[in-house]
Amino acid sequence: MIRFRPLIMILELFDLKITREWISLILLFFSICIQAQEIDLLIKNGHVVDVKNNKDTISDVSIANGKILQVAPYISDKNAKKVIDASGLYVVPGLIDPHTHVFVGSKPNKFADGNNSLSPDDFSFKAGVTTVVDAGTSGWRNFPLFKTQVIDESKTRILAFLNIAAYGMTGDDLQHDLNEMNVAKTSEMILNYPETIVGVKIGHFEGKVWAPFDRALEVGTLTNRPLFVECHLPEYTLKEQLDLMRPGDMITHAFENISERTPVVDDEGRVLPYVLAAEKRGVLFDVGHGGAGFWFDQGIPSVEQGFWPNSFGTDLHRFSMNGGMKDMLNLMSKFLNMGMPLKEVLARGSWYPAKAIKREDLGNLSVGSIADIAVIRVKEGSFGYIDAKNNLLKGDQKLEAELTIKDGKVVWDLNGLAAKPIK
Amino acid sequence: MVLCFLFMLFFYGQAQDYELLLKGGHVIDTKNNIDGPMDIGISDGKVSAVARSIPRGKAAKTIDVSGMYVTPGLIDMHTHVFMGNEPDAYIADGGTSVMPDGFTFRAGVTTVVDAGSSGWRNFPLFKAQTIDKAKTRVLALLNIVGTGMKSRFEEQDVSDMNPTMTAYAIKKQYPDILVGIKAAHYWGDFTQVDLAVEAGKKAGVPVMVDFGEHRPPNSIEALFMEHLRPGDIFTHTYSNGPDDRETIVDENGKLKPFILKAQKRGIIFDMGHGGGAFTWKQAVPATEQGFKADVVSSDLHTQSMNSGMKDLSNVISKFMALGISLTDAIDRATWAPAKVINRPDLGNLSVGSEADVAVFTMREGDFGFLDVRRKRLKGDKKLETELTLRAGKVVWDLNGIATEDFKE
Repeated sequence: MIRFRPLIMILELFDLKITREWISLILLFFSICIQAQEIDLLIKNGHVVDVKNNKDTISDVSIANGKILQVAPYISDKNAKKVIDASGLYVVPGLIDPHTHVFVGSKPNKFADGNNSLSPDDFSFKAGVTTVVDAGTSGWRNFPLFKTQVIDESKTRILAFLNIAAYGMTGDDLQHDLNEMNVAKTSEMILNYPETIVGVKIGHFEGKVWAPFDRALEVGTLTNRPLFVECHLPEYTLKEQLDLMRPGDMITHAFENISERTPVVDDEGRVLPYVLAAEKRGVLFDVGHGGAGFWFDQGIPSVEQGFWPNSFGTDLHRFSMNGGMKDMLNLMSKFLNMGMPLKEVLARGSWYPAKAIKREDLGNLSVGSIADIAVIRVKEGSFGYIDAKNNLLKGDQKLEAELTIKDGKVVWDLNGLAAKPIK
Repeated sequence: MVLCFLFMLFFYGQAQDYELLLKGGHVIDTKNNIDGPMDIGISDGKVSAVARSIPRGKAAKTIDVSGMYVTPGLIDMHTHVFMGNEPDAYIADGGTSVMPDGFTFRAGVTTVVDAGSSGWRNFPLFKAQTIDKAKTRVLALLNIVGTGMKSRFEEQDVSDMNPTMTAYAIKKQYPDILVGIKAAHYWGDFTQVDLAVEAGKKAGVPVMVDFGEHRPPNSIEALFMEHLRPGDIFTHTYSNGPDDRETIVDENGKLKPFILKAQKRGIIFDMGHGGGAFTWKQAVPATEQGFKADVVSSDLHTQSMNSGMKDLSNVISKFMALGISLTDAIDRATWAPAKVINRPDLGNLSVGSEADVAVFTMREGDFGFLDVRRKRLKGDKKLETELTLRAGKVVWDLNGIATEDFKE
């Protein structure tokens, strides 16, 4: 009865006698209201995988006003404006790519405001991605430009880690200017855009001093946000970095094997004990595939030994888009074929990164949450996947985005699932 | 000394004829009338042999493409790739254009033609910013308007439609890149088209016309028979917006009688799919009545990239869903556009030509193809780009057919 206290109070106000019948009647009325509410889009018969809500079953999903209205074994299409049959397909929360470079601009050969970055809409929806996180391409000095030039102009939801370097990824001496790595300014910028900036980033620092790392960590603490470590920090050892990281901080390029960093797998093919210890402590490992960031000699033994990434950051940029990376679903397919179960792959494509960036409003299909949805086909056949060393892994499964929905609107429809046939 | 000589002899004995061999594929090269099994040898970025069987030992690296189709790298004759950050601009240096490399290679495209995003005033910026930086070969039609497609209003400025400057840029300044002229989005009479044709005559290049946005529409019969020359191009062929653009198929579903005559006269019909310019309502009856667009192209930009268009391989598959053969469809995205833009060095696999090559798998299954009205036509075949070579280098490899198996 306590649950209906407000209802009872209202009834009492009108001096109405509270009876079981009354309450039943009112509940019935409310349930009819829900039934009668118009559905903008109804996805029927798909296999819903919604890890947050522990759903892994065939369900219908209805959408109204850009939000999830209902997820249930059967929803009538009576009040639905549009019905999509997703039989044989997976219906999952819109994918979240936590590592991209999308501060695109016209500066030649630059990431920050340059043409090494890419326009997110060119790659996101066709891979089921509805949210990307820019990994520190901008810093406190140029985030406002990034915001007006790209974030506000894109259809993809763009969140960002703010670089501790003031101008972000300029690729030149500015990146190393300690005087500009300002804890107060960086924190202030983050708190000025609390909806968009999800954390702070350290990466691409080639000096020996620890000030950049310490300051980034301090910003993380001050703003209550994760630190994103892009481990191209040749003078810091991996162990030192991991030891400083707090539970919930993220480290990317988990399976990279290049000279300027320690790989996670040792010469005997074992995942390093201190890497496993860091994971156990709550440090989150992101793939960050990129052009050079994913190697089968790291990834395959890691997956076999149960050391799985928490998220599938693509590290999307000009030099990764046409290589072994291609897009986020190709990256997820790669891990599927390395032996990770589909449900685990899907969890790491949406809900886990949502939690990592403390955006639990995303990456799930809870009633009332934003209707970002990917409808995915698992193709069977003969496929191949390439790593940074141009090694090939053959596989028999591949994920393909049939339909992508952002804020309740169809933004990608590969085969016209949401379209009408011509007469 | 002797050792050195022997070593050299050994080395020469091992030397291979080709750097790369594509073996076992079905080659479609309409310029050379090839439509069957052929091997292709590549060296120094050029096609160096096309033959029924080239032994594996003759190449340093062999890629097995059996069961796949091998074609010249596709030419997308209608794109908008002058991407930039000019705040007031939409296509010229603006956010409606895209960067080409993210769309081309994964669709088997190696050459794009930008369709008039820039004019003579801002072409140098386009060249420095995009063309010189892209891995895709970017050619361009120069807009007859000096500022190109900066905004719909600037596109109406007749005083900035300068045939002399336009022809000068094409003929004298950038003859290797500029392959024609574009007239588009004009709200008035035939003035813009006539100025573009005047520039075309001066420069000796074709004019492409986007003839929309006239209310009421201007006559396309007059355009084809009186204003354009043979070899000039009409784009958005299958568009259906009769309020401001005359359609090729009338409201009763009949192909207008002058369309085939215009095609016979030498007017080139370009698909120019785009976000709003391809409808089954036009394409289905036109095809049934014996008309086909001469060139299959995407009109790639941000409004088309995630819609029914998607990429050029999807557009070709869509054309096939209309009942057009693979060979015919591939021709219209390779050799046909190469001829239209007077670049016979492209769109073919003749020995000596630059090794731009696309390798496709023909997927079989249930596919749907969308038009701009969100109407679906079903098809059972779809092209998927396995491999793309640009000047002999692998620039796209979907399933790793050019790579080595991983060994732990």
